[in-house]
Amino acid sequence: MIRVPALGVAALLALPVGLAAQDTTPPVPGVRVGITYTPGTRPSVAVLVAGGTALDSVRTILGRDLDYSDRFEVVVPPQAAASLDSGGVPNYRALNALGTDFVVSVVTKASAQGDPRSPGGFDVLLHDVRSGAVKNRISLQVAGASADGLRRAVHRAADDVVRWATGAKGIASSVIYFVADGKIWRVDPDGANRALIAAAGRPALSPAYSPDGRTLAYTAFVPSGQPIVLQDLATGRREVVPGTEYGINITPEFSPDGRHLAYAHGTENGTDLYVYDLGRRTTTRLTVGRYYDNLSPAWSPDGQRIAFISTRAGSPQLYVMGADGTGQEALARFDYGFTGMTYAPEWSPDGQAVVFHREVAGVPQVFVLDLATRAVKQITGEGRNEDATWAPDARHLCFVSSRSGTRLLWVVDLETGRMRQLNSTAGARLPAWSPGHASLEAG
Amino acid sequence: MMNRVAFASLCTSLVVAACSKPPAPAAPAPVPAPVAAAPATAAADSAARAAVRRDSLAAATRADSLERAARERARADSVRAEVQRAQADSVAAAVRSGLAPADSAVLAEAVHFDYDKADLQAADLPKLDRKLAIFQAHPRLEVQVAGNCDERGSDEYNLALGERRAAAAKRYLVAHGVAADHIAIVSYGKERPLDPGHTEDAWAKNRRDDFVVTRGAN
Repeated sequence: MIRVPALGVAALLALPVGLAAQDTTPPVPGVRVGITYTPGTRPSVAVLVAGGTALDSVRTILGRDLDYSDRFEVVVPPQAAASLDSGGVPNYRALNALGTDFVVSVVTKASAQGDPRSPGGFDVLLHDVRSGAVKNRISLQVAGASADGLRRAVHRAADDVVRWATGAKGIASSVIYFVADGKIWRVDPDGANRALIAAAGRPALSPAYSPDGRTLAYTAFVPSGQPIVLQDLATGRREVVPGTEYGINITPEFSPDGRHLAYAHGTENGTDLYVYDLGRRTTTRLTVGRYYDNLSPAWSPDGQRIAFISTRAGSPQLYVMGADGTGQEALARFDYGFTGMTYAPEWSPDGQAVVFHREVAGVPQVFVLDLATRAVKQITGEGRNEDATWAPDARHLCFVSSRSGTRLLWVVDLETGRMRQLNSTAGARLPAWSPGHASLEAG
Repeated sequence: MMNRVAFASLCTSLVVAACSKPPAPAAPAPVPAPVAAAPATAAADSAARAAVRRDSLAAATRADSLERAARERARADSVRAEVQRAQADSVAAAVRSGLAPADSAVLAEAVHFDYDKADLQAADLPKLDRKLAIFQAHPRLEVQVAGNCDERGSDEYNLALGERRAAAAKRYLVAHGVAADHIAIVSYGKERPLDPGHTEDAWAKNRRDDFVVTRGAN
């Protein structure tokens, strides 16, 4: 994905070793500077604000979002280079000399009086330091916004900055749902803004979001059974998926087009996979097991295939089939009686990998299966690590880990290997990472 | 008289459970003594400040982990209390059911399973056979079988496994003459452990089918 022009490589080879980490080649007109950096080195970005301390929280949230994207080196320039002039223009010359690639400036609108919560808003601008120009800008209207509203607006701006600078999808405006204490919660990917989602029973398990982010599906333990409930996140309206009023009903997942819901329905004869058509309100059975289990459906992003877990060969292992139930076969190679039990697959949003967890010497660890090579790579090794879910950028995973001594949610960046604790909710489990919101620019 | 005995034994088990709380947490490790107060140079001064800061961070981290451990214990206690409440409810329901306490006790006897298995064990079949006799004597009797698992394996897989465990007991009872619609099954996966421990003993206790009377003999 990162291409270095041949000329750039030659120029770098001629540089003293100490400078190799910084790309000091002059900008080529018409070429995006963000993709000419040295492989293994991330572009640096400084977040600068004008308007006193009122924007400090905005700068903090924005800087953290850019840091957690793992696509930038977030730098704090020395005071002399860190100020914006009265027109909101950064000191390009000084920043360039410091090797800063990008500046994100936050400037309040005149009417806002420096307070982002007062009527008005602020502008977020991305500057290309070397060419000394504004690449993109976005205007955030936060009139009357709550603290949460402000936070959401800043997260969206952070994702816009990631897209402008790298062309890639950000994760700051996405949401992670998870279960703790038998209840469903949401949290921002920076670990802030945790909130309870009132569910239809307790425990409520296995939250799954619709691609438009409006509906949550989950298993609810209610007195009459364990149905799959569809819950409108805006109105709180709930509906039981037909056919799940009886038996055990688990592991719902929406198809990528949002029109179908796959889930596992268990009866006395075993557990099988079904697909519910939300528009036609019809249900199709995909697997026919007898006294064994098929569960944890995971759609491919093109909606054509479903990975799942089956005990057809004895222990739970990873299989795949067409979305109509045809062509069922093992997806990850396993040796009977040797390969550990395998659970909880999730297809990466770019379609190239499937994450799952598998027991190694009785301890669950997170693995990623590369679909092109069918190679399986172990991602974790410390403590119990399970139930991984992909971020919308297909490079971060959120998972449950006991590495700190208690079960908490962690996030790993597969590109850099950077690991961080998401928040401090003890006993958190079954995370589900939703897609990001649409850009503010689009609407 | 029998009722009182059943009640007394229930109370005893509650008391025992209350006494079997995990031991109090170990006292926090002593915080290292502050670094020397009169550093000779500015560099030493800043190193001292850094060390103090590190120590206070370490103390905060320790306090945090103790607090988390306390929260986890509280959760384990609340799960245990919930299970005991459910058992007390089921005993009360059995009393209301019109069954003799001895019959209620026989009906409530759990059956157990091997790890990741849903096959009935030969040693447990007499427990099910004794239940059969009670079903024959009380044709209106209805029971819910609840399958449970130990903490190993994923949360979701254990729900499927628990369903198979409940189904195994139901199949046996139905094959021996109990009306299929008099036995409901449910799975709690690993959501309702009887013993929250992490030992082979705890796991063995938790891999079980519970039997709850949902409609009495009357």
